[in-house]
Amino acid sequence: MALIWSVVSVSCSILVMPFLMFLLAIIFLASIGKSLGVRRLYVKMLLKIFEYGRENIEIAKKDRHTSCDNSENEDEDDVEGQRDKEKGSSNVTCHYLNHSNHMLHKMDRKLKNGVLANNSTSVISREDLILVPDPEQNYTSASTVNSEGDHTAVIHNFPRRRSFETLKREFELSDCLNFVKAGVEAIIEDQVTHRFEAEELKSWNLLTRTNLHYEFISWRLSFIWMVGFLMRYCFLLPVRVLICFIGTVWIVMAMLLIGLVPDGHMKRWLHKHAYLITFRILARSLSAIITVHNKQYMPSGGVCVANHTSPIDIVMLSTENCFSLIGQRHGGFLGILQRALARASPHIWFERSEVKDREAVAKRLRQHVSDPRNPPILIFPEGTCINNTSVMQFKKGSFEVGSVIYPVAIKYDPKFGDAFWNSSRYSMMQYLYLMMTSWAIVCDVWYLPPMYQQEGESAIDFANRVKSAIARQGGLVDLMWDGQLKRMKAKPEWKEKQQEEFSKRLKIDTKKQE
Amino acid sequence: MGNRSSLLLREEEIAQIQEETGFTPNQIERLYSRFTSLDRGDCGTLSREDFLRIPELAINPLGDRIVHAFFEEGCSDRVNFLQFMQVLAHFRPIKKGRDNKLNSREQKLKFAFKMYDLDNDDKISKDELLAILHMMVGANISEEQLTSIAERTILEADQNGDQMISFEEFCNALERTDVEQKMSIRFLN
Repeated sequence: MALIWSVVSVSCSILVMPFLMFLLAIIFLASIGKSLGVRRLYVKMLLKIFEYGRENIEIAKKDRHTSCDNSENEDEDDVEGQRDKEKGSSNVTCHYLNHSNHMLHKMDRKLKNGVLANNSTSVISREDLILVPDPEQNYTSASTVNSEGDHTAVIHNFPRRRSFETLKREFELSDCLNFVKAGVEAIIEDQVTHRFEAEELKSWNLLTRTNLHYEFISWRLSFIWMVGFLMRYCFLLPVRVLICFIGTVWIVMAMLLIGLVPDGHMKRWLHKHAYLITFRILARSLSAIITVHNKQYMPSGGVCVANHTSPIDIVMLSTENCFSLIGQRHGGFLGILQRALARASPHIWFERSEVKDREAVAKRLRQHVSDPRNPPILIFPEGTCINNTSVMQFKKGSFEVGSVIYPVAIKYDPKFGDAFWNSSRYSMMQYLYLMMTSWAIVCDVWYLPPMYQQEGESAIDFANRVKSAIARQGGLVDLMWDGQLKRMKAKPEWKEKQQEEFSKRLKIDTKKQE
Repeated sequence: MGNRSSLLLREEEIAQIQEETGFTPNQIERLYSRFTSLDRGDCGTLSREDFLRIPELAINPLGDRIVHAFFEEGCSDRVNFLQFMQVLAHFRPIKKGRDNKLNSREQKLKFAFKMYDLDNDDKISKDELLAILHMMVGANISEEQLTSIAERTILEADQNGDQMISFEEFCNALERTDVEQKMSIRFLN
C-alpha cells in the first residue's frame, strides 16, 4: 500500500512540473494572441479519424443489412445522390439510419437527434405551398435566398408572382386540398421546429451523444470510441476545466482592478487588453479553433449584429476584438462573468421585466453608440439561441438606433462538437460540461461590410436585408419565422394573413339579386 | 431526464406498419423520429397541442380540421404511432401495380371529404360548407357573399336534389381534379 502511494506521489511530482509549464504556455500564448497551431493539427487528425470511422461504418453496414436500394424504392430521387459528394455519399446516411432495431437507446445526455436538419436528410420533397407568417414579404423581397448546397430554402407561396386579377377564380371544392396537403407536409417535416434542437450529423463523429442508434457497429470503431472517450474525459476535460477556472479568476480580478482606475484613455487600453486575454483563455478552455475571415471589416464602434447559437458566440468573437455586450441578466456562472465585465467598461445588462420596456433599452443603446470612444456593441437580434442551421427573424429594436450596422456571420462545424445551447434541456453548467467533453469547437467567423439603412427603408426591411446577408455568407437558411416560437405559440394574426391571402384569390360573384 | 417510456420500435412493429401502410422501413424509422420529436411529454402518444405546436400547422386555416383527422378513430384524444402512420399513409403517391390500401384515389377523396363533413354523417350540408369557408377566408369576405358561394357550390355538385353533397357527388365534382397530385406527398427514400 505504501509502495503504491510512493509510486503515485513520485510520478505526480515528475508530471507536475511539465504540466504547470504546459498550462503556463497556454496562458502565455493566450495573452499575446498567438497560437502554436496544435489545435489545428488536432482537428486535422480528428478529421482523418472520422473519415476512417465513416468508411468503417459503411463496410459494417454492407455486411449486415441488405442494400438500401432495394425493391421498396418509392421514388427514384436522384436529388439526394447529387448532394454532398465530398461529405460522404447519401449511402452513408442511408446505411447509418438503416438499423431496424435498437432505436433511440436512452443515455443520460442523449440529444434527441431524430429530427431532420437540412435538406439532404429530408423525408419529403416540398414543392408546393409552404405557409409563412408574412406572405407579403415574399412579393416584396428581392431575393429568395439561394445558395448552392444543402442550405437552400426556396420559400414558395401560392403560385409565383403573377398579377392577382388573372389568378382569381371561383371557389371549388378542391380548393381545400392545397391547405390540407401543406398541413400534412408540415406535420411530417416543417421549417421551424427542428431549429431548436441540435443539428443532425451526416455521419457519426464518435460521440455517444450523437449516435442515433446506440448499437455495436464494429470492434475497431468501438475501440476508437473508447480511446476517444478516455482522452476526452480523463485528459481534455480536467485541463479544460482548469483553464476555464484560471480564465474566470483572471477576469474577476483584472476587471476589479481596472474598475478602480479613473476613467480615461489608460483605462480603456487596459480594459481592452484584459478583455482580449480573458476570452482567449476561455477560448482555449473549449479548444476553440476560430477562423476569421475579412478582418478588415472588423468594427471599432457602432452596432455589431450576429446570428446567435449560444453564449459561446461571444467568446468566439471576442478573441479578436473588444465588444460591449447587451443581454439579459443571468444568475450563476454567466452572472459572475456579467458582473465582472460590468465593473470595468460599459455593458448593458437588463432585467427580464425591462425587456418589455423597449424605449429604455433603446435609449441606453443610443447613448452608448453616440460616444465614439465606446467599444462596438454586440447584439444578437434573434433574441434566442437557434441551432446554427438557419437565421430566424431579427428583432427590429437594434436597427432603429440609427447607426451603422456591422453584420457578422458565425458558423460552427458540428462534427467536432455541437455548440447549440438548448436552454430548455440543459442548464448552463450542463452545457459547458457538454462543450468541454466534445472534441473541439470549430467555427468560422465572417465579418461583413457595414450596412446602412436606406432612404425610406423601414427598420423591419433593413433588419431583413441584414439577415439575408448574414444567412448568405454563413450558408444558413434564411427564415422569417420568429425565434420566440421556441417558447411561444404562433400568433393568430399569422393565420389571419393566410386567410387574407386565400380570399384575395377568390372571385366573388358581385351580381347579387336582392 | 425523467421517466421515459420504452420508445423502442421493434421489428414486428415495423413489419406490421409496413404491411398496413406500405411505407418502407426506412421511411417508418424517419417518421418515427419525427413522431418522437413531436412527443414532448415522451408518452408515446401525441395530443392535439403537440400537433398545433408546429407553427406552419398552427397558421394553416384548416389546421384544426387536419389535426382532427388524426383523432377520428376511437374516442381518446391521443394518437399513437400506428394511427399516425395510418393517416399519413393516405398521402403516399399511388403506385401502379401495387396494392394501395390506404392511398387509393378513393381513399384520398374520402380524406378530403372528411375535411368538409364536420359531423360525420357522410353528407356535406350548406352549413358545413359555410363553416369551412369561414375557416379559409376569415373575416375577409362578407357573410352574404360566402352564403352565395356555398349555395352555388352545392347547386353545381348536388345531383339528387337533397341540398347536400354526398360522397359520390363529391367524387364526381372532383372528377377532373388531379387528386393524385394534390393529395400525394413525395417521399424521399
